Amino acid sequence: MQSNKLGWILLAPTLVILFFFGVLPFLYVVFVSFHQWNPFAASPEMIFNGAENFRRIVFDDAFLNSLGVTAAFVVFAVFSELIIGYLLAQAFMKEFPGKSLFRTIHTLPLIMAPIIVGSVWKLMTTPSIGIIPHYLDEWFGITMNIGTSAPVAFMTIVIMDIWHWTPLVTLTLIAALVSLPRDPFEQAQIDGANKAQTFWHITLPMITPAVVATVFIRLMDAMRTVDEVWMLTGGGPGSSTRFLGVHIFKEVFPKTNYGYGSTISVIVLYLTIVVCWLLYVSMLAPRKNRKG
Amino acid sequence: MNFVLKVGVSALAMAVASSAAYADDSFWKEAAKPYQDVTLRGVTESTPPSNYIREVLAPEFEELTGIRVDIETTSWDQMYDKAIKDMEAGTGIYDMIYIEQDIVYSYLSRDFLTDTTKLLADNPSLKAPTYSENNFTTFANYFRGENDHLYGIPMEAFIKIYLYRTDLFNDPDIKAAFKDQTGRDLVPATTHAEYAEIAQFFTTWGKDHDMDLWGTTAQAHTGHPASWYEFFESIAPTFGIYNWGIDANNNYAASVANGGAMNSAEAKEAMKWWLSMRDIAPPESNASTWTEVGTTFGAGRAAQGLVYGENAGWIAADETKSLVVGNVGVALPPLQDGILDEVEGGTGYIGYYDGGAFGIPATSKSQEAAMLFLQYIGQDQVQPDWAVAAPRVTNKTTYDDPKVQAMNDELGGYYDLLRDKGYLFAGAPAYPFHAQVREATAPILYEILTGDLGPEEGLDQMAAKAESELTDLGYRK
Repeated sequence: MQSNKLGWILLAPTLVILFFFGVLPFLYVVFVSFHQWNPFAASPEMIFNGAENFRRIVFDDAFLNSLGVTAAFVVFAVFSELIIGYLLAQAFMKEFPGKSLFRTIHTLPLIMAPIIVGSVWKLMTTPSIGIIPHYLDEWFGITMNIGTSAPVAFMTIVIMDIWHWTPLVTLTLIAALVSLPRDPFEQAQIDGANKAQTFWHITLPMITPAVVATVFIRLMDAMRTVDEVWMLTGGGPGSSTRFLGVHIFKEVFPKTNYGYGSTISVIVLYLTIVVCWLLYVSMLAPRKNRKG
Repeated sequence: MNFVLKVGVSALAMAVASSAAYADDSFWKEAAKPYQDVTLRGVTESTPPSNYIREVLAPEFEELTGIRVDIETTSWDQMYDKAIKDMEAGTGIYDMIYIEQDIVYSYLSRDFLTDTTKLLADNPSLKAPTYSENNFTTFANYFRGENDHLYGIPMEAFIKIYLYRTDLFNDPDIKAAFKDQTGRDLVPATTHAEYAEIAQFFTTWGKDHDMDLWGTTAQAHTGHPASWYEFFESIAPTFGIYNWGIDANNNYAASVANGGAMNSAEAKEAMKWWLSMRDIAPPESNASTWTEVGTTFGAGRAAQGLVYGENAGWIAADETKSLVVGNVGVALPPLQDGILDEVEGGTGYIGYYDGGAFGIPATSKSQEAAMLFLQYIGQDQVQPDWAVAAPRVTNKTTYDDPKVQAMNDELGGYYDLLRDKGYLFAGAPAYPFHAQVREATAPILYEILTGDLGPEEGLDQMAAKAESELTDLGYRK
């Protein structure tokens, strides 16, 4: 009883902060999402319009386009980061000359704010004066124009995201790999398992919780990406990189469409929860079944 | 005049000057006494004129009055975001906000701003002897409400002008080549056809001579509203499309079918011409906002272009940033036949008169102290150095200052053009739904720029989208 009280007392500051800065704003956004509210409309006051915003969203081409490009971005970026991150983690498990230096350099992008990453990549990719288009043209005769080519802009953002966030995946997987017991691997070696079999039947099942946690973190981050994209392409060319985060930003801030923008935010939150749940079920359920 | 008389006159002049200065200083010190514990907070866009306020005027005011002034300079988007959120929520964080000319109507429609004329009338002790609304140029009228009172103190005003490279335009070889090719002399264009001919000539010249030189700039970003502004505020008016092609007196019609002009034949011609210029502009044009256009011109990569006046200063005079110092000329934008007569007759405008003011949010808790600071930056006395540091003129006497006149020579006559031809330019139309219509239609413009939509089909869609947005907002019935 005594320890329960102490626990609540120690938790109280965090709960209070969470309530005021997390729960209350969330409830407010849900409340606003049932209203028509644009402070620069002819009627600037908040008007309750039931589920009209939610009905509208289903037929909103701009939102559906954002949803599509975001889904593509999440799949490309997170999957690539997972593969590259795992390979790098395995590489860092071995000893090689300059390992410490390489690991430090490899981790540096993580400490950069997303807006800075966007700025740096903008400088590097600006047509005709950026270092990347310059050398692509000089060495390979390839013209790269991020302002006109939708696929180029999209892939540039994917690569930028991989560059920025793969170190996080690497570090998480290194932690998971380091903590694995040696016995199962030695047993597998004795039984004559090859590398692929060892990976598939021992390593992967044992690091799955870490992989799931990493995928969740990256997936949630990728679904709300704004800063880097805003800086690099502004959502263009056209709407080809107008990811959900950018779409919500443009709807809520420049257009001051607070009601509808809140609705999109709520839907995106719901979709994120659903996707995470599906992933959780699909990645952890087979493991549980094996146990059972 | 004998020596004694000279000395006497000089002494008298010095006495008058010093007593006037003392009187001014004593006013600020006296008026500021009740606000010694106040810290004024302002938010503005990070531009040369705003940086001058933060780095020069605010410290001067602090030293003079003891009132602390924190000026936050940030990006254009962030500046709006912070100011609007503060005023909407009524938090009163900011005592001064930057009001760009195109947002003032939105702010006035929501009663976001303090009536500075009334504030001074209600508090005569706050009125600085060196401040008067009559000192401002007519640009101040954009910040007046329906009661003709001033809701913002003008802090910058400039026009988007036609800049050209005088070194290239005066080069004998280039002039001869141009004459051979076109049969006319190489002089700044007055029509779109002439401009296009010069642009094409220089782009080809750059290619033939292995130079990083193109014939024109283009503010044609495919994901940033800068391209929207270039078309509707700088290009369309030169083809006779004013106020974005929306007729406020005709139920906010945008489409030709309903009486608007956003998708008119003239608008479509303007769009095609602009796209053709974009196609022969430097490759970075598709990713260029107003800032990058200035950078492109300053890097010597364009022979001519439409550039915001706020950038003209460093392009023409700052050797640490610009490669074309001393080689910049200014002129009026190229026009379709008949447009100049139409505008001089009182209809429309030929380009964008941009700028902004500092206003006091109605939610500010230190309105009187903020009013003191705004008067300080609105005085004639502080204008010349400010105009030299960042080419902007808001007060009538600024033009006559020797420092400004010297700068005018460096800028190829920019200040003369602003003073003499400024009346041909105009700010954004008086719409309270400025950003809303822009954001609703901009994605379609981006598709036109990427080639996913043709200019004709795209403008038709933009007009329809503008009307549906205005209907949703409740302006169009």
